[in-house]
Amino acid sequence: MHIVYPVVVSALLFSIGVYGVLARRNAILVLMSVELMLNAVNLNLVAFDVWLRDRLHGGQVLTLFVIVIAAAEIGLGLAIVLAVYRNRQSIDVDRLRDLSETGASEEAGPPEEPVGVGEDADREARP
Amino acid sequence: MEPAEIIQHSGGVIGASWLMIALPLLGAAVLLLGGRKTDKFGHLLGVAMAVASFVVAALAFIQLLGFAPGERRRGVELYDLIPGIAKVGLLVDPLSISFCLLITFVGSLIHIYSIGYMAHDPARRRFFAYLNLFVAAMLVLVLADNYLGLYVGWEGVGLASYLLIGFWQHKPTAATAAKKAFIVNRVGDFGLSIGIFTIFATFHSLSYQGVAEGMAKGGSIPATAIGLLLLLGACGKSAQLPLQSWLLDAMEGPTPVSALIHAATMVTAGVYLVVRSGPIFQATDTAQLVVTIVGVATLLAGAIIGTAKDDIKKALAGSTMSQIGYMMLAAGIGPAGYAFAIAHLITHGFFKADMFLGAGSVMHGMNDEVNMRKYGGLRKVMPITFVTFFIGYLAIIGFPLLSGYFTKDGIIETAMEHNAILGWLAVLGAGITGFYMSRLVFMTFFGKKRWEADAHPHESPAVMTWPLIILSIGAIVLGAFLILGNRFMLFLSPAVGRPEELPSFHPFSTTGLATLALVAVGVVFAWYRYGSAEVPGVAPRGSFLTAFARRDLYGDALNEALLMRPGQWLTRLAVYFDNRGVDGLVNSLAALIGGSSGRLRRIQTGYVRSYALSIFVGAAVLVGAWFVVGNL
Amino acid sequence: MNGTIQAPTLEYAQLAPMLVVFGAAIVGVLVEAFAPRYLRSAIHVPITLLSLAGAFALTIWQVVKGVPTKPAAMGAVAVDGPSLFIWGTILVLAFVSVLLINDEDHFVAAAAAVPGSAEEEQALHEGAGHTEVYPLALFAVGGMLLFPASNDLLVMFVALEVMSLPLYLLCGLARRRRLLSQEAAVKYFLLGAFSSAFFLYGTALLYGYAGSIDLAKISAALGVVGGQETLLYIGVAMLGVGLLFKIGAAPFQAWKPDVYQGAPTPITALMASGTLVAAFGALLRVFWVALGGLDWNWSPVLWAVAILTMVVGAILAITQTDIKRMLAYSSIAHGGFLLVGVVATGAAAGQNSKALSAILFYLVAYGFTTVGAFAVVTMVRDAGGEAWHLSRWAGLGKRSPLLAGIFAFFLLAFAGIPLTSGFFGKYAVFQAAVAGGATPLVIVGVVASAVAAFFYVRVIVLMFFSDPAADGPSVVLPSRGTAAVVGVAVLATVFLGVFPQPVLHLAQNAAQSLFIR
Repeated sequence: MHIVYPVVVSALLFSIGVYGVLARRNAILVLMSVELMLNAVNLNLVAFDVWLRDRLHGGQVLTLFVIVIAAAEIGLGLAIVLAVYRNRQSIDVDRLRDLSETGASEEAGPPEEPVGVGEDADREARP
Repeated sequence: MEPAEIIQHSGGVIGASWLMIALPLLGAAVLLLGGRKTDKFGHLLGVAMAVASFVVAALAFIQLLGFAPGERRRGVELYDLIPGIAKVGLLVDPLSISFCLLITFVGSLIHIYSIGYMAHDPARRRFFAYLNLFVAAMLVLVLADNYLGLYVGWEGVGLASYLLIGFWQHKPTAATAAKKAFIVNRVGDFGLSIGIFTIFATFHSLSYQGVAEGMAKGGSIPATAIGLLLLLGACGKSAQLPLQSWLLDAMEGPTPVSALIHAATMVTAGVYLVVRSGPIFQATDTAQLVVTIVGVATLLAGAIIGTAKDDIKKALAGSTMSQIGYMMLAAGIGPAGYAFAIAHLITHGFFKADMFLGAGSVMHGMNDEVNMRKYGGLRKVMPITFVTFFIGYLAIIGFPLLSGYFTKDGIIETAMEHNAILGWLAVLGAGITGFYMSRLVFMTFFGKKRWEADAHPHESPAVMTWPLIILSIGAIVLGAFLILGNRFMLFLSPAVGRPEELPSFHPFSTTGLATLALVAVGVVFAWYRYGSAEVPGVAPRGSFLTAFARRDLYGDALNEALLMRPGQWLTRLAVYFDNRGVDGLVNSLAALIGGSSGRLRRIQTGYVRSYALSIFVGAAVLVGAWFVVGNL
Repeated sequence: MNGTIQAPTLEYAQLAPMLVVFGAAIVGVLVEAFAPRYLRSAIHVPITLLSLAGAFALTIWQVVKGVPTKPAAMGAVAVDGPSLFIWGTILVLAFVSVLLINDEDHFVAAAAAVPGSAEEEQALHEGAGHTEVYPLALFAVGGMLLFPASNDLLVMFVALEVMSLPLYLLCGLARRRRLLSQEAAVKYFLLGAFSSAFFLYGTALLYGYAGSIDLAKISAALGVVGGQETLLYIGVAMLGVGLLFKIGAAPFQAWKPDVYQGAPTPITALMASGTLVAAFGALLRVFWVALGGLDWNWSPVLWAVAILTMVVGAILAITQTDIKRMLAYSSIAHGGFLLVGVVATGAAAGQNSKALSAILFYLVAYGFTTVGAFAVVTMVRDAGGEAWHLSRWAGLGKRSPLLAGIFAFFLLAFAGIPLTSGFFGKYAVFQAAVAGGATPLVIVGVVASAVAAFFYVRVIVLMFFSDPAADGPSVVLPSRGTAAVVGVAVLATVFLGVFPQPVLHLAQNAAQSLFIR
C-alpha cells in the first residue's frame, strides 16, 4: 500500500479533529475532538513505522505512549469539566468568558460573538 | 616627571578601601530607612560612621606610605560591571588618599560640630543621614579609578548638596537656592557628561589608566574639546565663572553644610577633576590657558564680591570662590602647579571650615543673625570662637608662617613664573583678600556692640568649640608641613607628576614681599574703614563699585540676560513646538499605541474557541511561512 | 527482528535530580493514600522542599563532577551544560514557589464541592485542604526538568504532558474566585491539549521524514533525505506551534492572560517562572540540536514571531487594569525579548554560546523577579481575596511604603532599569543579537521595552502619587514563607543587577559546552 493513503487519511482525521475543537461548544465534544487529533497522529505514526521499516519501531512505541498519555489527559479533562459543570450547570465553553479583556476592563460593551467556525452548525449542541 | 604606573592591589587596608565608602553609605541607609526609631542615636551613628571612615582612610594612608614612592598607585578592582566596558574599581594613590583624609577628617569634625549646632532641630537624624550620604558620594568621586565612577560620585554629591541646601524647606529662599544650585550644576554636568562620552569615543576606555595610555599613544585626540568640556563641569561644581552664581545662594543651608560641602570638599571637586585629568590638559595649551584665565577671573570676582557682603556667610562664600580660583589657576599651570593647588585645597579646607564653623558659632550665639552690621565687639563674649576664627583669618590672608602664607604664596610664585600678568593679578587678589577678610573680622569681633535688643551672645558648647580648635591648629601648621622641603610635591608626584626642577621656598622674594605689602595695605585700609571708625547699622549707598560688588558683580543679572532670558525664549519656542510638533507626535503616538491596544484587546475575547482558532491560524501561517522561506 | 532484547543502560547518577523529584512526587501520592488527613500537610511540605533541595544539590554535584559529554539513558536524555543550568534555575524557582504554595490558604478545601454548599462548609470546617497540590507540583517540576533535557521527541512529548497535566489541575484549585479559576483550568487544558496535538503531529511528520525521533538523527537526516521537504516543513512548523504555545509567543499567546489571571497566584508564579524556563530550554534544544542545519530557514520565521510577540505583549499590557493580567502580558513581552536571543543563535559556535548564555542569564533574572512580583500580589488583599484591580493599588505607597517600594523595584527590573537584574538580561540578549546581525530586531526590542516601561512606570506612579482609596485593600502581614520568597527575589534582583558577573560567568560556562548533539 502506498504511504500516501494512510497519511492523507490521518491528515483528514486530524483536520476533522481541529474542526471539532473550533466548532463545538460542548466541552465533552471538544475533548473528543482532541482525542481524534491524537489518534490521527497515531495512525500516521504506525503507518510511517511500517513504511520506514523501522527496526526499533520508534513509531509504534511512540503510539503506545500517546495512547497512555491520551487516556490520562482525557481523565483529567473530564474531571475539570465535571467540576465546572457542578458550579455552572453548563459545559458550554462559550459561556466561559469571565476571563477576557472585556470582562476585566468593566467597560462592558455588547457581548461579542465568538469568532469561531460554524457557529450555526452546532446550535443543537447547546445543552 | 611622568606619573607612575598603576599597580593592581588586593589585601590589606587598601584592598578594603571600599569600606571608606560603604560605612557612611550604610549609616545613611540605616538613618533614612530606620525612620523615627533611630532618632535617639541617629547623630551618634552618623558621627561614628564618619570617624570609622576616617580610620580606614588613615590606615590605608599608612599602608600606602609603606610602599616605595614609585609604587604608590594602587588599583583595587572590585568587579566587572559590564564585561569589557565598565569595571568597578578604586584607585588609591597619593592624590586620592589626600582627598580621602581631608574629606573624612574635616567631615568627622563637622559631624561632631553638628551634634551641637543641630541639637534643637527636629530633623537632626535626617541631617546626619544626608551628611553621611554626602561623605560616601564624595569618596566615590575621589576614589573611583574611572570617569564613570567619578560621574556617579559627582551626581551623588550634587544630590546631597541639593538636599542639604534645601534642608530647611520651610524657608522659601532655601528651597529656591537648592533649585538654583541644582540647575546651575546641570549646565556643568552636561559639559562633564559630554566630555566623558567624548573620552569614551576617543579612547574606548573610561579608566584613568586607559586615558593615560591613550594619550601616550598619541594620534588624533580632541584634547582641547575634552578639556574644555571637563572644565565646564569643573566650573559648575566649583562655582567658577561663569557658573558661580549658585554658591552665594547655597549659604541658605545649615552652616555645617556650608563648611563641609561649600567650602572644604565638594566645591573643590572641580580642581580634583582638572588635576586628575592632567594627561588630557597637559596636551592642550588652549584648555590650560582657559583654566588659568577662569581661575584668575574667579579669584578676583570672588574677592570683590567678598568686600561688599554684609552677610557673614556670603562674604565667606565669596572668599571660597576666590580661593578656589587660586587652586584652578595653579591646576591650569600643569605639574608645576598641581602640588600647590592640592596643598592650598587642603589648607583651605581647614581654615575655611574653621571660619565657617566659627561663623556658625557666632550665629548660634546671635539668634541666627547673619548681618555683620548687627555684630561688633564679639571677641569678649566668645573668646574661643574669636581666637580660632582669628587664626583662620590670619591663615587666609597669608600672615607669615601660617598655612595660607605657604600655599598661596606657592601658587602666586608659580603663576608669576608661568605668566607675569596672571601672577600680578593673583597678587592683587591677595591684597583684596587682606581687605575683605579684615573687614569681616573687624565688623564681627571688634568695634562697638551693634546687637539687636534681644541678642544675648554666648560662647558655644564644647562639642562645637573643640572642632574649631582642632581645625585652627591645622590652619597654623599644615602649610609649613606640606610646603617646606617640597614634602607634598614629592608625595604627590607619583600620581600627577612634577616638574623636573623642584621649586625652592624663598621667604623674601620680590613677589612674596609685594604680596605681603599689598595685604598689609588691605588690612590697614580695612582697619581705617571698619575697625577704628563707626560701622553704620544700615549699609550706605556706596559707590558704583560697591553696588556692583553687592549685586555679585551682576552675576545673576548676567545669568538672567545671557542664559535665563534666551533660555526662556528657547523654552517657550520649545514648548510651542512641543505642543504642536513633539507633543502632537508623542500624544498621537500614545493615542496610536493606546488605540491599537484597545483594538488588539478585542482578540482577547475570552472565547476559548477563538483562542483555538488563533492557534490554528497561527499554525497555518507558520506552515505557509516555512514553505515560502524553504522554497526561496 | 528477533532474539533478545538488550536491557537499556541508565546513567542513574546523571538522572538523579529528576529521579529524586519524581520519586518524591510518588511518595507524595502514597502519603495522600495512606496518611491520615491531619498529618498530610505536615508530611508533604518537608518532603517537597527536601526533594527540591536535594535535587538541586545533586545538580550542583553534577556540575562539580564535570558536565557529561554524552546523552544519558540510551540517548533519550541529554544532561549537558545548558540542561544543568536550567535544572538549577528551575529547582530554585520551584523551591521558592512551593514556599508560596505552602504559605496561605490559596487552595480550595474540596475541589469537587460547589462553593458555598454544605459540603464545602464541612470541608472547610474540618480544615481539609487539597494537599495533593504538593505531589502535583512536584510532578510538574519533574516534567519541567525533563522537558529541556529530552533528547528525542518521544521523551519531549512525555515531558511536555507530565509538566502540563498537573498544572491544568492546579490552575483550577483556587479557593477564592472559584469560577474564574476553573474557567482558567478549562481554557488552559483545552488549548494545551490542542497545541500538544499539533506538537505530536509535527513529531509524527518529522519521524516520517527522518525515520527517527532522535534529535541528533533528525539533524543528520536534514541534508541527506531528499524529496520530502513537505513532511519536514509541516512537521517543523507543527512542532514549533507546540513549543511556542508553551512560551506564549504570539500568535499563540491568547491563553496566557486568562490563565495567569484565573490560576491561584502561587501557581501563576510557578508557571510564569518554571514553565517559561523549561519551555525555552526545550525550544533551544529543538532548534539548535535537531534543526541547527536549517537556521537560515527558521530564523526568518522566528524573527516575525519575536517581533509580533514583543509588540503584542507590550501594547496589550498598556490598557490592562488587572495586575495579574498585566504581569501576564509582561511575561509575553519578555518571551519576545528572549526570542530575540534565540534568533541570535546561529552560524558560529562562539556566537551560539554568547546568545545561549545571554538567554540563560535572562531566564534566571526574569524568573526571580516574576516570582517576587507575584508573591507581592498575594499579599495585597481585599475582603474577597487578592486585590487584582489596579485602581485598588492606588496609593499603596502611602499605606505600605516598603511593600510598594519592593514592587516598584520589581517593576523597574522588568523594565530593565540599570542596577537591576533586568538591565543586564536585556543588555546581554540584545548585545548577542546585535553581534548575530539581528540589529533591526533589537531596535524593535528597544522600542517595545520603552512601551513596556511606560506601563510599569504607570503602576509605580499609581502606587506612589495617587491618593489611597478610603476602603483600599489591606496588606496582610506576610507569613515566613512569603516574606522569604519576597526577600529572596529582592536579593536576587539586586545581586544580579549589581554583581551580574558570577551568574553571567556560570551561564557562560554552561553555554560553552552548548547542547550535546
